[in-house]
This record gives sequence, C-alpha cells and structure tokens, in this order.
Amino acid sequence: MVANRLRLMVVTEVPKLASAAEYFFKMGVEGKRFRPTVLLLMATAMNISILEPSLRGPGDALTKELRARQQRIAEITEMIHVASLLHDDVLDDADTRRGIGSLNFVMGNKLAVLAGDFLLSRACVALASLKNTEVVSLLAKVVEHLVTGETMQMTTTCEQRCSMEYYMQKTYYKTASLISNSCKAIALLGGQTAEVAMLAYEYGKNLGLAYQLIDDVLDFTGTSASLGKGSLSDIRHGIITAPILFAMEEFPQLREVVDRGFDDPANVDLALDYLGKSRGIQRARELAKKHANIAAEAIDSLPESNDEDVRKSRRALLDLTERVITRTK
Amino acid sequence: MLFSRISRIRSTGSNGCRWFLSHKPHLQFLNPPAYSYSSTHKEQNDPFSLVADELSMVANRLRLMVVTEVPKLASAAEYFFKMGVEGKRFRPTVLLLMATAMNISILEPSLRGPGDALTKELRARQQRIAEITEMIHVASLLHDDVLDDADTRRGIGSLNFVMGNKQLAVLAGDFLLSRACVALASLKNTEVVSLLAKVVEHLVTGETMQMTTTCEQRCSMEYYMQKTYYKTASLISNSCKAIALLGGQTAEVAMLAYEYGKNLGLAYQLIDDVLDFTGTSASLGKGSLSDIRHGIITAPILFAMEEFPQLREVVDRGFDDPANVDLALDYLGKSRGIQRARELAKKHANIAAEAIDSLPESNDEDVRKSRRALLDLTERVITRTK
Repeated sequence: MVANRLRLMVVTEVPKLASAAEYFFKMGVEGKRFRPTVLLLMATAMNISILEPSLRGPGDALTKELRARQQRIAEITEMIHVASLLHDDVLDDADTRRGIGSLNFVMGNKLAVLAGDFLLSRACVALASLKNTEVVSLLAKVVEHLVTGETMQMTTTCEQRCSMEYYMQKTYYKTASLISNSCKAIALLGGQTAEVAMLAYEYGKNLGLAYQLIDDVLDFTGTSASLGKGSLSDIRHGIITAPILFAMEEFPQLREVVDRGFDDPANVDLALDYLGKSRGIQRARELAKKHANIAAEAIDSLPESNDEDVRKSRRALLDLTERVITRTK
Repeated sequence: MLFSRISRIRSTGSNGCRWFLSHKPHLQFLNPPAYSYSSTHKEQNDPFSLVADELSMVANRLRLMVVTEVPKLASAAEYFFKMGVEGKRFRPTVLLLMATAMNISILEPSLRGPGDALTKELRARQQRIAEITEMIHVASLLHDDVLDDADTRRGIGSLNFVMGNKQLAVLAGDFLLSRACVALASLKNTEVVSLLAKVVEHLVTGETMQMTTTCEQRCSMEYYMQKTYYKTASLISNSCKAIALLGGQTAEVAMLAYEYGKNLGLAYQLIDDVLDFTGTSASLGKGSLSDIRHGIITAPILFAMEEFPQLREVVDRGFDDPANVDLALDYLGKSRGIQRARELAKKHANIAAEAIDSLPESNDEDVRKSRRALLDLTERVITRTK
C-alpha cells in the first residue's frame, strides 16, 4: 500500500522526470523494504492507545488518521533515501544499483541529479502536509546529515580515513540518522512523550549502526564465513570500514597499505591478508551485537501494553535486532 | 520632489515616522539629518540602495555559513555568492522590499518601541526567506551545471583528492538544498515549507522541460511560458508569497505578493530573451546569442515563427550550424518578434505594478517608499539594457 502510494506521489508533468524518479520504486527492485518495515512496526509498537479499548470501534477515525500520517513518514523516508541514492550513484560513478543499471548510467547524470532533487522536494511537500513543525525539523536534519555524511566520505584526509571515531560519525550520518529520526518522528506523530520518542530514536539509531557494521563485514565475507568471498566493493572504492579499522589497531603496518590506496589489486590482497590475521571481522561483529542489544533494550524500556498488536509488533522489532546480526546478505 | 516630501514628513513627526525612520538599520543612509539633495535623491531613486545594507548582511551570512561549515565545498558555492556576480542581487532585493511594503503593522505606532522585538523577529524571519531563496537558486544553478561528460569546465579549487566538477556541483548543490531545508524548518511554518519545496520541484521540472523537449513543444509559446514560469518566475513569486504569509497577511494580500513576483519574473525573463539578441544596442545580433546557440528557443523567435512559418524549418534543423543562426536572425529582424516580446514583457510588468497598487493602503512612510521602489522595479525590468 505504502509502495503504491509512493509511486503515485511521484507523478509529475514531465514524463521523463516521472520515469526517472520512479526508477527505484519498481516492484522487486527494492529489496526487503527494511526501513519502512521498521517504521510501520514502530508505529504499532508504540500505539499506547489514548482511547479505552471499549471505546475504540473498528476503523476508528482517529486511529486511521494517525496511521495514515505515520505511513506518510514511511513514504517520506523512502523518498529521501532514494533521492540520496540517486545522487550518491552520480557521485560514485556507479553503473549498477539494486541489481539493475543505476539511473545515472541509464539516463545520464544530470537527469539523475534532477530526479533526486525532485524526490526531495516532493518529500518536503509531503512533510509539510503533516503540519507538525517538529517532525519537519527532524527530517530536514536528516537531509542535512545525509549530505554531510556523503561529504565526509568524499573529502576525507588520510588521518580521518583511519579514524574509528570519524567512521562511526560518518556511518551515523549516512545510515543511522534517517532511520533513528524517522522512528522518532513516528513517535512524535503518535503523541508520545519525549522519553518514549527518545527510545524510538535509540532503537532506530542502534539498529541502523548494527545493520551497517554487518554490511561492512559481509562486504568482505559474503555468504561464506571466510574472507574474500564478499564483493569487496568498499575497499576497492577506497572506503575504509570497521573491520579494517579494527585490524589497523592490531597491525599498524596496515596503515601504510591503506595510505597507498587500493587501485592496485595487490594492495587489496595485502590488506585482506592483515585482516585475516587480525580480529577485525570478529570485533566488527561484536560491536554490531552491542548496538543490536542497545536497540533491543530500547524496546524493552517502552511503557507496558496489554494490546496484542502492540506486543506483536514489539516482538517483531526485537526479532529484527537478531536478524540484523545473523543475516548473511 | 521626493526630497521635499520626506522633509515634510520628518518635520511633522506624525504617526511616529521620524523616530521610526531613524531606527531602521536599513535606512541608515537617511541619517544624519543634514544630507545633500543630490546624493539622497539618487539613493531615493534606486530601489536597490533602499535595502543595500540589509542585503549585504544577508549575503555575508550566506557566505559565512558555506565557508565555515564545509570549507571544501566553499570554492564551488562561493563563486556564486560573490558580490557583483549576480548583478544587483535582484531577487533578495525584491523580497526585502516586499517585506517592508506589506508591513501593515499589527501594532499601534504608539505602542511600538524602537527596535521593537516583534518587528525585529519578523524581519529576521523574512530575511531568512531571502537567504533560503538564494540557496535554492544557487543549488539549482549548480545542479543544472552537471554534465554527462566528466570534463572540468571551470577548474574549481583544490581538494585533497581529485573531485571532478560534476561531483563538486552535485555535492555543493545538495549541501545548499539541505541547508535550505533546515532553515525552512526553523521558521516553523509548514505552509512556507510547502511553498518553497514546490519551488524546487518547479525548478527541476523547468530544467527537465528544457532538456527534453520535442520539436512540437520547442515551438510552442504556451510550453515556453510554462517553462519560464517554472524556471524563473516560480521562485520569486512563491517567495514573495512566503514573505507575506510570514508577515501574517491575509490570503488575498499574499496572492497580490505572489502576482507581483510572478509577473515581475516573467517580464524579467522576456527582456532577458530580447537582450540575448540585441545586447546593449537596440539592433539585432549584438547580444551574446547564447540562447539560440544552445538551441534554446525563446519568445522573440517564437513570435517571429508566427509571422514566418518557414522559420519553423530553420529551427527544426537546429543551430549547430552558424549559417542557420544567421538565417534565423534574418527572419527575426524582418518580423515583429523583438517588439512583441517587449510588449508582452510590458504587459506583465504592468500587472505586477497593479498588484502593488492593489495592496491595502498604508500611511507608513517606509511602507510607501518600499512600494514605490517595487513599482520602480517594474519599470527598470523593462527598460534595462543589460
């Protein structure tokens, strides 16, 4: 439902713009729709109903209205996300994305950039329609974070590239900010207290960080538990992620290898070698688990509820904190 | 005449005008009391000088923001914020004048103290619209500049590792857009957010229209005017409207502000089109001819095509061949294309002026001065030669 409405929201006067913006909303191209899933579950999970159950009729107008607004957050979040993907692909000169040709590759850089801007503007209009200035501020901040994260990635000095702190900050901006702040927005729209909204934020943030850390690991290991079977796309693009950063703490010599850059495949192999000798992969997994646990704690800290839908959604959110760690792709 | 009118008002001191004038930072040039006729008269006649000081403030804040937060992007965005690059900073000037022009004060003059907190707050918010508008404008320029080949046209600044012109343009544009979003959000007015988000959508639509026209569309006046609205007029019309809304004006007044901005913008663009052919001389072919050389068909040619259908074939052939350009100029010269474009510009300028005249009456001298300046602009937009 959300996906279809999303597609409809992207309609425009200029057919080319429409097909450009619609590009990643195609059925089947979108992966498992991780983010919207989290958001919709979160919406239910904190549905600490303001009305007595007996007063609630099926299809209660107030509840429906709230639900529609929370769904809009999920749509807005996806638009912002896809807009940033479209631009990132132009910046990275990528030729594929989500298993198909990237938009810049298929329709040209400029159209990809314009399509991203278009999606962003539509997201802003949808945001404004919620008439909640705090939520507008939250998601505007996300847009700023996404750009900051991308800028950080593109303009690092050698010093920064080898810093775990810089990496985690960048990861927050590029990955976790969107999901944490939209979780918070869901809570605010639901009229929750600042404390509850903060719990929603903490869940999103730590889930997002855990997700990215495992993503980093999988880029090296792929679906096998051993090294070098992953796509290695990060390192080949010169993007230094958590496993390597941890390995560098054990093997300072790895730092020189990193500084030399990874255009030379021999250098990639050398780095993988050090990585294999180190506890880099394991430590990255451990850090992911730590964040996943914090996310789970946030859910456990939510105010009690006897509503079966609420409990079910919370279990699902807890389940996600497991899956995010154990997934193999 | 203007001088004498002002001196009369200053001496009466009725409705608090005298102290009000002297406490408005952007009207500092009126102090001290003794000033020569000629310099003041010239300043009175120049709508841009009315808000020049305020404008510098806005421009400096913008530049500072870009330079301090992301120094690496500074070289790209900085280029566009240089004073003088954009001529007289047309858009922010209109917005700041509009802010004053509709300052139909909600407080009784006697209750207003100098540096009234409410007024200052409102003014700051309206200035922010001017900043946001510039950020959106420059972001769209940067993104429009993204090419499909990786060549570096401008050789912008030095970075730690190679960043192509394309990447800088995209990132810098994104940076500005994201800052615009945050600044918009800080105004805590969702209607204004909606208005300016729509502008971004329009800018993109307009640019896409320009990129992807069919032959049919390129020769259509209607398509051209729609594209011109999207690319030029939407930004200024909707930000004028936003200024009005922030000022707590009614929907009707906000609509007048919108109409002013829209028609001024359209008039501006139409004259721009003419000047691209005529340059600073009244005769053809002395302009830069950059539109036609880029295959962009503007109002004068569209009008000429109505008189000379054969011109259509010339247009369809494209303008890579300079001989074709000359041929088109030839037809244009024989036609009333230039004149009709000017006439249409004048028509829109008049509609803009009417919008100002339709604003609710005000006795406040600042308000009247700003409105006169806005009217003045509708003249200048038509008569300018560059």
